[in-house]
Amino acid sequence: MSETTLDQVLSQRREARQDIVNVDEPAVKLVIFALGDQYFAFHGERIREILAQADVFFVPGSPASLEGVINVRGDIESVIRPHEMLHLPESTASRTSSILLGHGGGMSSGIRVDRMVDVVDLPQSSIQPPPATLPEHMRALVLGVLKFQEQPVAVLDLDKMFSDYARGLG
Amino acid sequence: MAIDIKKFVIRFIEEARDHINRLNDGLSTLESGSGDAEVINTIFRSAHTIKGSSRMLKLVTITETAHKLEDVMGGLRDGSLQFSPTLGQLLYRAVDALSGLVDTLAENNDVTALPAPDDILCAALTQACAGQLSQLPSTPDAVTPAVNEPNQANSAVDKPNQPIPPHIPAILPAQTKPAPPPPLGEPKLKTAETVRVRLSKLDELIKLMGEVVSSHARMRQRLLDIGGIERDLSENAGPDAASHLHQFAQLLKDDVQAQEALMDELHDKTLLMRMLPLSIVFEPAARMVRELARSLGKQVECAVIGTEIELDRQMIDKLADPIIHLIRNAIDHGLETPETRLAAGKPAQGKLTLSARQDGSWVVIDVSDDGGGIPLAAVREKAVKKGMISAEKGAALSDQEAIDLIFLPGFSTNSIITDMSGRGVGMDVVKQAILDDLQGVVNVETRLGAGTTFSLRLPLSLAVMRVLLVEVDGLPFGFTAQYVGELLRLPSSAMLTVAERNAVIIRNEFVPVVPLSELLRIPAHLNSAVDSANRSKNDLGMLLLVLRVRNEKIAVQVDELLDERDMVIKPLPEHMRRLPLVSGVVTTGKNELVSVLHAPALLEMARRARTQAVRVEAASHTEESHYRVLVVDDSLNTREIEKDVLEAYGYHVTLAEDGLDGLRKAMDGDFDAVLTDVEMPNMDGFTLTARLRQEEKYRSKPIIIITSREKEEDKRRGVQVGADAYIVKGDFDQSGLVDTLRALLG
Repeated sequence: MSETTLDQVLSQRREARQDIVNVDEPAVKLVIFALGDQYFAFHGERIREILAQADVFFVPGSPASLEGVINVRGDIESVIRPHEMLHLPESTASRTSSILLGHGGGMSSGIRVDRMVDVVDLPQSSIQPPPATLPEHMRALVLGVLKFQEQPVAVLDLDKMFSDYARGLG
Repeated sequence: MAIDIKKFVIRFIEEARDHINRLNDGLSTLESGSGDAEVINTIFRSAHTIKGSSRMLKLVTITETAHKLEDVMGGLRDGSLQFSPTLGQLLYRAVDALSGLVDTLAENNDVTALPAPDDILCAALTQACAGQLSQLPSTPDAVTPAVNEPNQANSAVDKPNQPIPPHIPAILPAQTKPAPPPPLGEPKLKTAETVRVRLSKLDELIKLMGEVVSSHARMRQRLLDIGGIERDLSENAGPDAASHLHQFAQLLKDDVQAQEALMDELHDKTLLMRMLPLSIVFEPAARMVRELARSLGKQVECAVIGTEIELDRQMIDKLADPIIHLIRNAIDHGLETPETRLAAGKPAQGKLTLSARQDGSWVVIDVSDDGGGIPLAAVREKAVKKGMISAEKGAALSDQEAIDLIFLPGFSTNSIITDMSGRGVGMDVVKQAILDDLQGVVNVETRLGAGTTFSLRLPLSLAVMRVLLVEVDGLPFGFTAQYVGELLRLPSSAMLTVAERNAVIIRNEFVPVVPLSELLRIPAHLNSAVDSANRSKNDLGMLLLVLRVRNEKIAVQVDELLDERDMVIKPLPEHMRRLPLVSGVVTTGKNELVSVLHAPALLEMARRARTQAVRVEAASHTEESHYRVLVVDDSLNTREIEKDVLEAYGYHVTLAEDGLDGLRKAMDGDFDAVLTDVEMPNMDGFTLTARLRQEEKYRSKPIIIITSREKEEDKRRGVQVGADAYIVKGDFDQSGLVDTLRALLG
């Protein structure tokens, strides 16, 4: 008696799972974060790790946009402040800020963000092409825009940001 | 000297294969059209190196082919030739020929087994060099018989004697031939006593060892922590409660120390496994000296000292090229022909010394000759003519800066190109190899007519370096020990203000002082908490870290010395390596990351800041005087400071580095005043003063002695030999000097 019930339950479950798999729209993973009061996102495959707590060490002679270096399990990684590149006002350090470890454009580095918002899987179709009203300096860096929690989010091109940054340092 | 040539041949093969890969890479980059000057340079250098090292082993065929290849690349480099696909094919063929020759060598392991050079190929290269590209006859057999013939033993692997199918472009013969199996080891190797281990495995072991050393530093920190807890506990809960902890802390301390001793030994032993004696580089080099000298019609005796000193294998590998270049330069440019030497009153036989000595955890390698010295005037002129510096700048350069010119890429003073050197390829390679690859320092001493010494100061190993940790504004910073001269505490009153900047006198030498915090421009939000602590420390005097880069010194003022230890230096992330100030990062016991500062960059920054200050100063003293002053002092820093002071007041200053040099310059020129130090090599200041007084033109000119000798009898002696003024460095300040000078000149 009980066995039958178990089988039934299992088969129901299986069907239920199949239903979910059948919804077949290409999804993208996005890491959404805030700089000041604006929302931005990177593609998930570009972000290796999110560090909530990390001691950043000052490196003399580096530009202001380079906050310092961190020790990630024995590897030395830099921490970049993206504010200047995006023409945003410098924000002061706060307890909510995190570091995203990203790789792209031939380099890898931490990126300081003011606040982590969420890591989500969204259908590809929810991302719109960047609007023509975007300011000049943003146009090269933005891959697309979407709405998240009623807020506009700009999806940033990490490859481009990093390669621009590395060139700026050279 | 009996030399086992086989081991050098094996090393040559490894090295040459490396360079051949680079040649192939470079050519394919050029072919794809994306090649720039740097790519051409790389190809050029590789060809140059193959040429050089093959010459050492008398591999005539390889030398010849590489030389031709280098010629063509030289043409590409100076723009007299343009790269074209046809030229590319020719170059490829030359590289293939080289590769074939190296393979032959690897198979037979016998220097005499090499075939004669391929005349057709060499002729084509020579023509190409003259700008005439001719299509080579395209049957590979006819073109590269020298290459293919000895390869037959090898081609047993890839279908012997099969004619190359016609659809394979004939211009790329034999390129895809697989590399022959590595030489089967030296048959004479006593297998019972040695084991061959892959270098990469050894490296992994050493890297792991480095991590162990780093993590042990944290153990030491834990000891300090527990000491703190113990103190807290005994204060709060009384000594009885703390006694158990105390016992535990003592035991822990013993354990940590015992383990540290074991670990240090283990670490040393691991590093030793990679050590090789310097004789591997020195012995073939000595042989090369004799051969080069003979071919140039010079008589050279070569002395080799310190071949038993062992260096990390990685260092030995990278050391061979710079040493070859230095030797070649010494024989070609430095040492004179027997006739010239006899005319100059020297023995006909020149002497070239290769010496190595250990200095703490450093090894100093000197390559010195007793030749003509570097003609600095010619160096300046050449640099101006080549457009590397402007004429005014050329005239203003100090001797030391003029010496630095020879390290610029493309610089060479010899107007005739020989096949030894004189292409200006050597010195920039030397500098790059020593500074970047070997983490060392180059020092050049040269005296016209007496010879030149290149000193290479190198760490014994690259895996671990001795690092000094200091604190500034509450932040730690590291310095690698090769640049640290000394650390000393001086009372604040020892500081002098000279030409708008601070300096102290350390053993008869002015050393400029710069607060490290000022040079590093530490952001304000990082150093807020320590201002008061700083001030209280000032009462103890200034803590000065004297950095030495070549002959130049600078004292950076720091707040505290934190630690001095062998540490594993980790590189910065790739994109940050262009930051000049920081050469790497170390991890401390507290798991902090500390930037290791690059002393040459600090000196450069300080110099730039100083030039600006002097300019401002000079602008404020607009009174122009046209007096010419000769400053004689053996310390570079002192000379520079006195020069700054005097130039700020509008005097024209000429520098001389010892009494003899001073006398010579005084006789050649016509100076209105002479300032001289007392203690100097070759001729001291008293003697110089006395000698000048015998000369008609200096009988009544002011001569000022500036020295740190305060004794009354010294002053008397100074007056006796005819000095007009005697200034003690201790009470030296700039207006005093200028006032004295002004009074004497009227």
